[in-house]
Amino acid sequence: MPEIFIDGERYEFEGKPKLLQFILDNGKEVPFFCYHPEMSAPANCRQCYVKVGTPVQNRETGEYELDENGERVIRWFPKMQTSCSMEMTDGMVVHTQETSEEVARAQKDTMELILINHPLDCPICDQAGECPLQIQTYKYGPEGSRFEVKKVHKPKRVELGPRVTLDAERCINCTRCVRFTEEISGTHQLTISSRGDKNYPITAPGMEFDDPYSLNTVDICPVGALTSTDFRFKARVWEMNQTPSIDITGGKGTNVDLWTRDNLVLRLTPRYNKNVNTHWMPDEARQAYRKFNENRISRPSIKADGDNQIKTSWNNAIETFAEKLESVKPADVMVLGSAHASVEENYSLMKLFSTWGVNDFHFSPDVKDGFGDNFLLTDDQAPNTNGVKALGFNEISTDDLKTAIKSAKVIVLLNDELVDRGVLGSEDLEKPFVISLATNETETSKSTDLVIPITCIAEHAASYVNVEGRIQRSLPAKETKYTHRKMDLEMSEGRLDRYGTNFDNWVNEDNKIDCTPTWELMNNLAKRLGLSVQFGSSREIMDEIASSVSTFEGVSFERMDDENGIQLTGITKEEVSA
Amino acid sequence: MANNYEFTPEDLKEIETIKAKFPEVMPATLPTLWVAQRRFGHVEPEVQHLVAETLGLPVSHVHGVATFYTQYYKEKMGKYVLDVCTTTSCQLCGGYDMLHYLENKLGIKAGETTKDGMFSIQSVECLGACGYAPMMQITNDVYVNNLTEEKLDEVIESLKADKMPEFESVGMPQHTERS
Repeated sequence: MPEIFIDGERYEFEGKPKLLQFILDNGKEVPFFCYHPEMSAPANCRQCYVKVGTPVQNRETGEYELDENGERVIRWFPKMQTSCSMEMTDGMVVHTQETSEEVARAQKDTMELILINHPLDCPICDQAGECPLQIQTYKYGPEGSRFEVKKVHKPKRVELGPRVTLDAERCINCTRCVRFTEEISGTHQLTISSRGDKNYPITAPGMEFDDPYSLNTVDICPVGALTSTDFRFKARVWEMNQTPSIDITGGKGTNVDLWTRDNLVLRLTPRYNKNVNTHWMPDEARQAYRKFNENRISRPSIKADGDNQIKTSWNNAIETFAEKLESVKPADVMVLGSAHASVEENYSLMKLFSTWGVNDFHFSPDVKDGFGDNFLLTDDQAPNTNGVKALGFNEISTDDLKTAIKSAKVIVLLNDELVDRGVLGSEDLEKPFVISLATNETETSKSTDLVIPITCIAEHAASYVNVEGRIQRSLPAKETKYTHRKMDLEMSEGRLDRYGTNFDNWVNEDNKIDCTPTWELMNNLAKRLGLSVQFGSSREIMDEIASSVSTFEGVSFERMDDENGIQLTGITKEEVSA
Repeated sequence: MANNYEFTPEDLKEIETIKAKFPEVMPATLPTLWVAQRRFGHVEPEVQHLVAETLGLPVSHVHGVATFYTQYYKEKMGKYVLDVCTTTSCQLCGGYDMLHYLENKLGIKAGETTKDGMFSIQSVECLGACGYAPMMQITNDVYVNNLTEEKLDEVIESLKADKMPEFESVGMPQHTERS
């Protein structure tokens, strides 16, 4: 197998990997800015310089020439090479900044050039704390600069598009954003304008940067040049907790991180998963944080007179729930699961009601034809359509649902905005007694008789099955009235993130929602109804599902964590598009 | 973007010939921008859109190329653009004097265009004619060498009469010695 010597250590490799990626894959480091594993390597930041040589070979015999000590004779490249674009060959010898003064010096000098016109505004820059330029300047950069002349000024606060704001002075022209629009999203909306020290990325005149994936350029920008218009100046990176989660705005199951501070989700960023979304996420999915914070239902509420809902106690809510059920036969109760809720929530709902005597379980799929783009947006608007299906909920068409509702006396609706997304009109829900378990105040929750607040994905650990049949889970990122980060083992306490220390400065105890996970609500209801149904944590519920529903065989939170989600067998793509 | 510019059939034919020279369309950007600049006198954003549309390329690419090269005029310029060199050799030999003389004579500053749209003045970096400093170039074309105030007067007069100065062959010192 071909071999390579990096900093005196021998590595074996296959194929024709590029040097920088190989170095990174082997846990070593070389500073870089313009390189990105998903895109072409133009080698224009010149930061990943290494010293490279190849052994001298006898052309006829193919043998390596040896010096007097029996060592291979190395022919060094006359100049430093950019490791991102350097193809590895057999016997290659590489020195990084760790073993070569010369390389360390070259990197330092390159950094000094990159920093000539870079403003020293880290204290007010959004990128500070997660800025490759800042980090690498600390690690490999010069202590000061010899360029004590006035810096070149460029446009600031340029609104490139509806979601991205440019500060051209901070740009180091790595062209990652330009290559993103050329190679990943394919919209070709950005270019580098002008040249020399005056250049910066911009759209063509009269054009907007309205790429549906535009905010990914903010993530890959190695400096604070491209910032999210929405998130700008809202929080410093080190004040937030970073919790792995799943996107709930679509069927793709894009892996995301939720960034929280004081029990508010402040932003969403993509989390790498090579089987789902790699490094990217759609702009639309980033708006989900509003749903976690705004218009949340806190405390149950009940319709008093006319259309007025008043807040009520949990005891009263459970009591009303149970009384309504006891006043009718199971056949008169319609239980609607939801593709917008997790596997565990739907399962606990189904188990309780089937024990009580309900036989039919339905859900209304949320599919917008033609919305998908074969990348990260899907026709399916819900995160868990396959999950509810696999649990045994039957798809119900809008017409059938409207008919079925007419004959039902009590409707139990798990988190699904049926009125808001136009499946039902609020008049459809007038006659029966409607109990909705919901996260947000919506037109749907307004038209129901009893509203019980449940936790959203940011507050519970639960699993979702995406359009391709991959089951992935969330972790709680914010507390509810009844949880505490130090008590909940699923919650990360302190910032176990890439940039932080162990200090934790959540100072505000507000913003906690008075809500409960669906399975705990089901526990209370079971107790009141005298049913022998009992649920533990969502982790235990998943174990129970795994042992009782064949599709979920072998699934557990541990496996989902270890394997970044599990591809379920028995769910095919054809089934999904139906 | 509403476009007020249009290529003539001859232009389009020429662009087709240019495209045929390359295996891909992208390299045709530069010569096509020249066709456009010759036709319209500039490559304003609208013209960039036209070029992109004609070649079937992203506008952002054409914009990037057009802004990279200073010889493409990204705004309307005078009929004659006087690029006065002010880099080292010309500077030493009076490049700035020539520039300021022109500025006073035409009543505009470097980077501006006269009201009648006849002249624009630009102060440019080295044009590679240090041997005949100070010098200037007219509309990306003829070099006028060894400038003096009198010579500038002459050039302006002839340009006002729509006559471009003749190309001057100035031998290098070693050539003059040999002859």
